[in-house]
Amino acid sequence: MKYTYYPGCTLYTKARNLDLCARKAAEKVGFELVEMPSWNCCGAIHNSGSDDLAAQVGPLRNLAKASQLGDKLVTLCAACHNVLKRVQDRLDAQGNEVERERLITFVDEPFERPVKVLHYLEVLKNDIGFDRIKERVTKSLAGLKVASYYGCLMVRPKEVLEFDDPENPQVMDDLMRALGAEPTRFDFKTECCGGYLVVNKRDVAKSCSQKILDNAKGWGAEAIVTTCPLCQYNLDSLRSIGAPGAIPVFYFTQLLGLAVGLTQDELGFDYNRLDPVPFLKAKGLL
Amino acid sequence: MDEPVPAQPKQKPRIGVFVCHCGINIAGVVKIPEVLERIGKLGEVAACKDYKYCCSDPGQQMIRDSIKNDRLDRVIVACCSPSLHETTFRNACAEAGLNPYLCEIANIREQCAWVTEDKDKATTKATEIIRTTMVKATEDLPLEAVTVPITKRALVIGAGIAGIQAALDIANAGFEVVLVEKEPSIGGHMAQLSETFPTLDCSQCILTPRTVETGHHAKIRLLTYSEVESVSGYVGNFKVKIRRKPRYVDFDACTGCGLCMEKCPARTESVFERGMAKRKAIYRLLPQAVPNRPVIDAAACMYLTKGKCGVCAKICPTQAIRYDDKETFVEEEVGAIVLATGYELFDTAKLGSYGAGTVPDVIDGLAFERLLSASGPTSGEVKRPSDGKTPKKIVFVQCAGSRDSTTGMPYCSKICCMYTAKQAILYRHRVHDGEAVICYIDVRTPGKGFEEFYKRATDDGIKYLRGKVSKIFRQGDKVVVWAADTLAGRKVEVEADMVVLATAVIPNPDGVALARKLKTQLDTHGFMTEAHPKLRPVETLTAGFFLAGTGQGPKDIPETVAQASAAAAKVLVMFGATKLTHSPTTAEVDDEICVGCGNCERTCAYAAVKVDPVKGIAVVNAALCEGCGACAASCPSGAMTHKNFTKKSLYDMVDAL
Repeated sequence: MKYTYYPGCTLYTKARNLDLCARKAAEKVGFELVEMPSWNCCGAIHNSGSDDLAAQVGPLRNLAKASQLGDKLVTLCAACHNVLKRVQDRLDAQGNEVERERLITFVDEPFERPVKVLHYLEVLKNDIGFDRIKERVTKSLAGLKVASYYGCLMVRPKEVLEFDDPENPQVMDDLMRALGAEPTRFDFKTECCGGYLVVNKRDVAKSCSQKILDNAKGWGAEAIVTTCPLCQYNLDSLRSIGAPGAIPVFYFTQLLGLAVGLTQDELGFDYNRLDPVPFLKAKGLL
Repeated sequence: MDEPVPAQPKQKPRIGVFVCHCGINIAGVVKIPEVLERIGKLGEVAACKDYKYCCSDPGQQMIRDSIKNDRLDRVIVACCSPSLHETTFRNACAEAGLNPYLCEIANIREQCAWVTEDKDKATTKATEIIRTTMVKATEDLPLEAVTVPITKRALVIGAGIAGIQAALDIANAGFEVVLVEKEPSIGGHMAQLSETFPTLDCSQCILTPRTVETGHHAKIRLLTYSEVESVSGYVGNFKVKIRRKPRYVDFDACTGCGLCMEKCPARTESVFERGMAKRKAIYRLLPQAVPNRPVIDAAACMYLTKGKCGVCAKICPTQAIRYDDKETFVEEEVGAIVLATGYELFDTAKLGSYGAGTVPDVIDGLAFERLLSASGPTSGEVKRPSDGKTPKKIVFVQCAGSRDSTTGMPYCSKICCMYTAKQAILYRHRVHDGEAVICYIDVRTPGKGFEEFYKRATDDGIKYLRGKVSKIFRQGDKVVVWAADTLAGRKVEVEADMVVLATAVIPNPDGVALARKLKTQLDTHGFMTEAHPKLRPVETLTAGFFLAGTGQGPKDIPETVAQASAAAAKVLVMFGATKLTHSPTTAEVDDEICVGCGNCERTCAYAAVKVDPVKGIAVVNAALCEGCGACAASCPSGAMTHKNFTKKSLYDMVDAL
């Protein structure tokens, strides 16, 4: 199985580990990510002003390019996923024909068909199946207690993302279970990590992330697993900015990769700000 | 299909047309003199008159006089919808000696005057409506009302307070009642409550006289631990099959001494105590249970699951234990059925942002009732489930699931504002230094003494916080509530020892399944639908089925009791007649044409049409048929017709336009 893949800018820079593990782990569980050529910025934040056409152009160009290759597009970064999926939804919306026509004309790129924007987790769950992933596990993560943190962008708005229960999502918990790990109960699965406030209001972002960390630890989590580079950054930076009791934060693809037998080099732990290697060694997982 | 043949009555009909002004409702738009002039010219019109209010006594007298003086054989009243006054005018015709089914209504109010602005267009339209109705009336046949005998016994399904009240009212009027309850004893949710709002009288104290009377009533056949399996027949003549679940206890031999329950070693979670306590495998719901006999929960019993134990049989002083008890079926014949299947509370596990049912100290309203109840797991002391400590601060959350389109329950559950106020007051009675915070969207107090009761709660120092709760989670041994205070315009975080969710009232799922089986109408939320929201609130569209209690919609105890008595009154009205009459404008099958495809049977919402397995053709039960015409429309061969509304009359009406 081959999927057109849109990595996005962060996965080439700070979130290199999210990307690398995803590609390698995909091969291990039976599919291949084929990076689409000449992609551009996803648009970074979905523009909710209905009259702002210019903001739709960037994402639309990506979708148009992807439509020439197939009817599906796999993403990994929660922000890219959110933006691309919502722009496609806006294009598909009834009564939006005029806007769609103007945009497609402006982009000057053949738009072959509507593109189904899928998150990597959706491919794992629906196309591969967690049962099959369980069969591919070579190193069970048994004994590892993780809190699955989804953030805001993966699940909202519910009607468009159609991803999971926006108040109590389960898909990553189910994946962790398939890998042998124990997902803990966790109340802050979709609370705000602080987002971009880390740039100019570091204290606010810190207090948001600190609450998430405290709640996860309160339920006995030894590590947090994320899908979004910005969430990962905020949570993983807590120790470096002096937060007490920080625990390792992984991308879900790193734990997937670890369980299906990727080597330590392939798992990209160098990119994690809080080095998880001693923790994994202590747990007997490395 | 054959070309429709124009009507060829043997004699020229003598039609009387009566145009009602309905004050200015019709006359303000439709030019009545012009209508009279146009209609009066038509050859078959023997009389053409108007009146300001035809439904008034003088208006009806005008019609009656005209029938006699002008020798009318058809009457058209051009007025409001037939759903309002068809019966009025048909009765007037019958009094004047005209077969009532030769009277037709031309609806020129709802379908013309109210929806047409242009007066000329409205006048033309009214004339056309009257003309087409005349064509139909010309082809109408005189019909006789269908009469059916009545079995003067009633079935009441569900023995909560609604079912109990309905059963007692019917039985006290002298008619037999079969009362079916799925639980081992009667009383329903009311038996779980502590005190009741707004008077704070003890629920048990006011309920037990009723349960005891029900249990001993000579006219009530009480079938507990039983469920209705199927209902066949029709209004006045139902056959009901009831499944009696195995109880493993001989109710005649058992004296209810309770020794078995004391000695039984097997324990399982008690649903009655909302999962906050264990009960034995041999159990009764509560000490005042009616009937006061235990049953064995087969799934929890060690003897029935593993073949070991048998303590209850050994210890029973009257040898009442029957491990070989089997499910049995009984059949009952009844004339009317009261559906009193009740409610449940929305599952807290489905409220993801409120802890998804995993936080032990976040409980629902019924669970808190059990904590307040003297017969509950804590004997009425407020202790929280996680560690048995007395909570010093409780947050009550109203509208947990209700009034929320994202949960699929946009409706108001109606009872929560008052029971939350009551629970907060009772909590403060029990725990004097306890702090109660109520998060609400609106406080709704439209009941007798309700507003005063709410005032009492606020005067008592209970803190009302206006805003929706966004999140509830556990932190250490506290439960944290995130809410909005929309009056102060700020976010609020409250650390509590316990949270009580006033979860949405939903129809009892077993009641919904039963209603589907009986083909009685449900609304989108599963509540049973009354025949008319204002004027027929306890009847259903299926003749012989009546509604009582929360299965029809959220309501409190007084309203439930009132509705149950109303349903009983409706049953008694039926039983007061010697025979039932039913409109003869039903469906009818042409045996020669019908091929028995069964389309009509599948289409019928009232289970009035069945394909006879022997003859292989459809048979209409006229007593059940409501004359909706769905079968006639769906019949591919044209065998099914609707009396006085045939395809021919329909085509002719169209042709006449």
